[in-house]
Amino acid sequence: MKFYINRTDWGKFLGQISKTYRIYAPQEIANELAYQLLAPENVAQTIYGTYRAVQPFKTFFSLPQEKVTVVTSQPEKTIVLGVKNCDLKALQILDKIFLEGDFVDPFYRERRENTLIISSDCYQPKDTCFCTLLDNNPFPEKDFDLNVSPIDNGFLLEVGSPKGESFIASIREDLKEATSDLIEEKENKRKEAKKRVVEVNREFETKRPFSAIVKDEYASPVWEEVTKTCVECGACTNICPSCYCFLLVDTENGGKFPKVKFWDSCQHTGFARVAADVNPRAKLYERLRNRYLCKYEYRPENFGIVACTGCGRCVEACQGKIDKREVIKKLSEKEEK
Amino acid sequence: MAENPYLPVEAKIEKIIDETSNIKTFVLKPSRKIKFETGQFVQLTIPGIGEAPFTPSSSPYQTEKIEITIMKVGLLTGKLHEMREGEIIGIRGSYGQGYPFDDFYNKEVLVLGGGVGMAPLRSLLLTLLKNVDKFRRIVLCYGAKTPEDIVYKDAFPEWKKKRKLEILRSVDKAAPGWEETEGLVTVLLDKVKMDLRNSVAVVCGPPIMMKFGTLKLLDLGYKPENIYLSMEKNMSCGLGKCGHCALGKYYVCKDGPVFKYDLIKDVPDIWL
Repeated sequence: MKFYINRTDWGKFLGQISKTYRIYAPQEIANELAYQLLAPENVAQTIYGTYRAVQPFKTFFSLPQEKVTVVTSQPEKTIVLGVKNCDLKALQILDKIFLEGDFVDPFYRERRENTLIISSDCYQPKDTCFCTLLDNNPFPEKDFDLNVSPIDNGFLLEVGSPKGESFIASIREDLKEATSDLIEEKENKRKEAKKRVVEVNREFETKRPFSAIVKDEYASPVWEEVTKTCVECGACTNICPSCYCFLLVDTENGGKFPKVKFWDSCQHTGFARVAADVNPRAKLYERLRNRYLCKYEYRPENFGIVACTGCGRCVEACQGKIDKREVIKKLSEKEEK
Repeated sequence: MAENPYLPVEAKIEKIIDETSNIKTFVLKPSRKIKFETGQFVQLTIPGIGEAPFTPSSSPYQTEKIEITIMKVGLLTGKLHEMREGEIIGIRGSYGQGYPFDDFYNKEVLVLGGGVGMAPLRSLLLTLLKNVDKFRRIVLCYGAKTPEDIVYKDAFPEWKKKRKLEILRSVDKAAPGWEETEGLVTVLLDKVKMDLRNSVAVVCGPPIMMKFGTLKLLDLGYKPENIYLSMEKNMSCGLGKCGHCALGKYYVCKDGPVFKYDLIKDVPDIWL
């Protein structure tokens, strides 16, 4: 079921809700969009239909640094507004890692359960966006509690989960069902957005899927060549919404066996090093290559999900100007020329 | 909140046994019983220093105490070697996949070990001996650098008396009094005759020995699916989440550390 709500009523509703939830939403800061905690009076200034925020969505669930051997406090009920499809897709990978298998990460789970996701369509993709190269769309179709599509002077609301259903229960009676005209308008806007991403990425299209290229071209000299400008800063992994690797560090204080969990980067020299300084990926290009294999080959084999959603953050964050799309294009060229 | 998998329990160091100049066996008494299967590993913590994975060397049937044999190679193992009996460390686990004994029933089991890689193999041997009638024959080929570097020196005379168990040992460099083989551990494989149609091989040791040991076994005619390897990788969480122990698409902490060779033979650079 899809509903229409005008901007004023939606703003009023969020203002009301912000008394019980902490609401994070994209705000413009230094020409970027960044998730910020909203004060109730700022709810109206939330930016919806543009592009993804600069922070990866994972920051709400897997903290950059967190003490994991003492439970500090119950996570607060949180809403994140304006999440884009690239981030929703990436969250599937994190859910597989932290919520499935023999062990569940209780810290991740608590935050996940206490967070309501209100996603929105992406109508102004950036030049670095490449979701369509990975068969993703710049608009969400699932994995949200509520999705908002900005339209006219309001929003089309789509409920995606029971959690989303009960969230709007209090205003449910006042909501108008969306007319077919509005739905069509939304579909057109979505098509336009998708077209834009496709056009921006025309030069990076490959005949083979990324997964086949990284696998087939394992021995290619291109890996070493593209790594030349890498300074091993770890920005690509930190900013990636589907990178989840971490390091447990033993500290001096806090509880009997105080451990802090930090985001870690597979691009750092010592990431895989074992006893007596044996390092299975001693060379930087081997680590870079392994990251691509992780994204496009290994995680799809494990979970059936590609662990890169084309959000393009790594392209923007890289100090060495390494553009994933260019790397894969270069790798593919030998065969496809 | 659900059970916290990152939290260790206390373990008292009850006894420390010197094995060689840089290898010690620690007898630990955890405050809560830690069950494990042979080949699985545990994580040991020294607060403020760090944590690392180790495979117990004791029998899984002995549940009150766990023995762990540790070579001094880095910061954490260096600190462990400085510790005294009575001190407390942290332990959590057990984790991962151990040896699938069901696959070994009614077969000849060839155990190939090198150096401190004998630690998990001691646990394996104790389990095999406990159920000795289920196996056709057990052959241990063990190599060390010098006679001094051999671990469990006191146990070997006992093991040599065991029914169905044959032991061959080699050292890279002999010393006066050494009457067994001199040479790399792989030379022992030329001296044993196994019934290849009905045999499995288990390998554990330093990476270079794992590589050449496995290649030699393949040469002798062992099929990849009958070779079991204990893979060593960097592990931080031990829970299949942190990503450090990645071996191709596998996480060694969760999918291993014991792998059938045919499962990982096509993963690039597995021996590093």
